[in-house]
Amino acid sequence: MTEETRIIESTWDLTAYQFKIEADALNLFVKGLKDKKILGRKCRVCGTVYVPGPTYCRKCLVDIDQVVEVSQEGRLDAFTVSLADVRGKPVENPFISCTVKLDGTDSFLMGVLEGWTDWRSVKEGMRVKVVFKDVTQGALADLSHFQLI
Amino acid sequence: MNERVAIVGYKQTKHTVDSPVARERMIYELVKSLYHDMGITKDDIDTFVLASNDFTDGRTISEVFMVPRIGAYMKDETKVEADGLNAALYAYLRILSGLYNTALVIGFSMAGSEFRVPLTQAYTMDPAYERPRGLINFYSTAALQAGAYMKKYRFSDEDLAQLTLKNIRNANNNPFAARKEPDASVDTILGSRPLYLPLRQAHVSTYADGACAVVLSSKKTAKKFTDKPVWIDGVGHVMDTYYVGDRDLLAMNHLTAAAKKAYKMAGIKNPKKEIDLAEIHTNFASEEPVLAEAMGLFKPGSGKDVVKNGESAITGALPVNPSGGPLGANPINATGLIRLAEASAQLRKEAGQNQIKGAKTAVVHAQDGPGAQLNTVFIVRR
Amino acid sequence: MGRNVAIISVGYNGRFISKRPDINIPELIQPAVNNALSKTKLKPEHIDAYVVGNMHTFEGVNQPHLWASDHFNGSGKPVMRIATGGTTGASVYQAAYYHVASGMYDVVMAIGWEKQDEGDSQVGLMGILLPEAFSLFHFGPDTTSDRGIAGLGGGGSTGGAAFQAMSYLTRANAGIEHIDRVAALMRSNAAKNPYAHLQQPGCTEADIAGTPIISYPLRFGHTCPTSCGAIAMILVSEEKAKKFGLTDRVAWVKGLGSGTSDATTGNLIEGQITDPAEQQICKITAKKVYSMAGIKDPRKDIQVAEVYSGFSHQDLMWPERLGLFDEGMAPKMLDKGVYAIDGELPINPSGGVTSTNAIGASAMVRVGEAALQVMGLAEGGHQVQRKIENAVAHGWGGLFQFVTITVLGKTPVKK
Ligand SMILES: [Zn+2]
Repeated sequence: MTEETRIIESTWDLTAYQFKIEADALNLFVKGLKDKKILGRKCRVCGTVYVPGPTYCRKCLVDIDQVVEVSQEGRLDAFTVSLADVRGKPVENPFISCTVKLDGTDSFLMGVLEGWTDWRSVKEGMRVKVVFKDVTQGALADLSHFQLI
Repeated sequence: MNERVAIVGYKQTKHTVDSPVARERMIYELVKSLYHDMGITKDDIDTFVLASNDFTDGRTISEVFMVPRIGAYMKDETKVEADGLNAALYAYLRILSGLYNTALVIGFSMAGSEFRVPLTQAYTMDPAYERPRGLINFYSTAALQAGAYMKKYRFSDEDLAQLTLKNIRNANNNPFAARKEPDASVDTILGSRPLYLPLRQAHVSTYADGACAVVLSSKKTAKKFTDKPVWIDGVGHVMDTYYVGDRDLLAMNHLTAAAKKAYKMAGIKNPKKEIDLAEIHTNFASEEPVLAEAMGLFKPGSGKDVVKNGESAITGALPVNPSGGPLGANPINATGLIRLAEASAQLRKEAGQNQIKGAKTAVVHAQDGPGAQLNTVFIVRR
Repeated sequence: MGRNVAIISVGYNGRFISKRPDINIPELIQPAVNNALSKTKLKPEHIDAYVVGNMHTFEGVNQPHLWASDHFNGSGKPVMRIATGGTTGASVYQAAYYHVASGMYDVVMAIGWEKQDEGDSQVGLMGILLPEAFSLFHFGPDTTSDRGIAGLGGGGSTGGAAFQAMSYLTRANAGIEHIDRVAALMRSNAAKNPYAHLQQPGCTEADIAGTPIISYPLRFGHTCPTSCGAIAMILVSEEKAKKFGLTDRVAWVKGLGSGTSDATTGNLIEGQITDPAEQQICKITAKKVYSMAGIKDPRKDIQVAEVYSGFSHQDLMWPERLGLFDEGMAPKMLDKGVYAIDGELPINPSGGVTSTNAIGASAMVRVGEAALQVMGLAEGGHQVQRKIENAVAHGWGGLFQFVTITVLGKTPVKK
């Protein structure tokens, strides 16, 4: 670097924006969680079941008005074991994040997987069930985790 | 290869300064109703070209959640990060190549309610010198240009107010415009808040939430979609140099070059005579005479006479921005594409109260950067 | 389809490295432009139009091509800006292709770059999901522990890539050692590419396996660096190629396509229906591109591939999804030596994205490297010695959803 080069501090301030978000899908989802149900939406044209359920189908580009309650059991899809933090320092209690396809749905839900002792024995395709918090309040946190059956 | 490309469908949202719905819902509703109006489905579209900007959208790769909303799921798609007219230009090139026959072009932004436009504009300036100094920005560049034009050509504050009023009135009659000022007058404009004099708040375009979608088709398939195709017969786009101090803000030579390219392609020799209307992307009212003259639509410096004689009014010899232009609504990224849609509406006799009689040929313009650094010009014909 | 288009020159600004505090964005671009020109007899005035792009939120300059236009000779010329996330470079090149194929322009320059020391890539990356994260926070996620957030975001700092890696390994019946092995091959390939960022001559599986696991099955050694660099390519029509006397050492564009699915990871807000390890959109696009290029059996007709892998498991996954190997066979092909520069179907002789990643340039570097392989001009020992008739270049981006594919060849498709 020469004398002619200077470093200028500057930021891109993402908080300068106020975003409007589409709340239909998550609204329905947390409403269901309060009653310990998993709610989604089903496209009448192609039959795709989305959880959380948007009010349109991205395959068909049509509105979706059909609300469905789906099974609370499903299949473990992908998972990953968090063993270190971003700096590479090992974490004390490794945990598993996973994606789950609940029976009868076409979308993947993400969450934390419990019910295992050795993470090396966890395999894709295992059966899991939804576990809610004891007291639900209509929030994403009501879905505590997925439990291996 | 396809030899000719047409606009076969277009639609814009009712632009507002505070959209009641999120952008995802906004473009979904727009595209769905466009397909419905045209009697087509997403499967009739071969390729999708979006126009958006990560800074104005406030997110990185801003199209990730938008592409499924326009029917591009599992389809061919790309994005231009500039005004929507450049996306139309890219779609036009894609169709000309013969690899595609139809394209959906869409531009959108939430410039009315989700962010402060001057802030995102500030990020355009070079970070080492212009940005920290803050002297040169989109507003001050326009003000320098306006001041120079007004001084050189004796274009008064009243003339500028008259020109602004023409656009506000056109916008009042445009159902899609966000700006509605039925009581506007020369006095209200002259009395509006001074920003960078001679520019005042009333001269500034109306940053809005809105979107515009256009369907392009090759000649081969155009008949399938409409019996009123609007042909793209000329295009030109040219970049000017970056530093404002190095540019001739009055002559706007690079815009002249872009327009000349488009005219040549379309076989236009005398634009003033052969063109029936112009839709010009102006971020400030004061840009209208400068840009129109650079495109050869009026004699250099004739702004005063054009205003006085009403030449650029809807009833005039060469109406400019009969839609009200961006003064009526400026949803950044969609603004130039809206000009294309408005011109198409005029040529198809679908412009409602603002309809110009017998319009056959239109020139459409879009700009990017401070003081219109990048200019894009289309010639469209019915 | 349109008229034939050839890539006649590929230029770099120099070796990709992590920091260039001595120069700014325009100064990073300029040497690449000059390098591309210097390999031909062309001068700036011969270029009819420019197509440019980067991920501008990473550097914090909005539409930096406006600022840089004088430095790449763009002022006074048509300039178009394209940006599509990870696929940006390839999207830029594809737009340049259409500029020529349309018949509108004869000589077009495509430029892709990223100067990642200038901004904050983490802010840039976070910016992809920030509005969605804000949405989730409106609906009361568990914020009391890391787990609640990780559960929502998907796999901690590697994002959804770890999910994809695990899915891939399960399907291919392969292990983390295969990811280690392919990562090691890429780093040692990079050592033969004078422009690559992370060059580790003779890098071994054990070297990679010695790096800590972030989120099983992904390790530090499986991730890409953040690089600074720029690439410029010149595309011309067939007529011009002949006129310039440049028909021997060129790469003809035979097929190309760009596809999207939906946001395939992190889409908790409206239901993720697309499987990130399946990569249906890659298969759909590949099929289309091969048919355009007249490729009947990609395994036979394609002799080298440059794929875009932000994480090493993707160096196994993409060749399968591109139809170069049967599904699940990539680990076996790797073990048989097929992947190597002197193998039967070399994958990423350049060292790939896990060795060099200047985001807005990366997907164009794949095309540029494929072009250099076809031209026989890859420097520093990473030129494939077997006869190359066709090469495939691949790009990947968005939220695991965008794909770009190009087939380049020694002879143009007959019209
Ligand atoms: Zn459906």
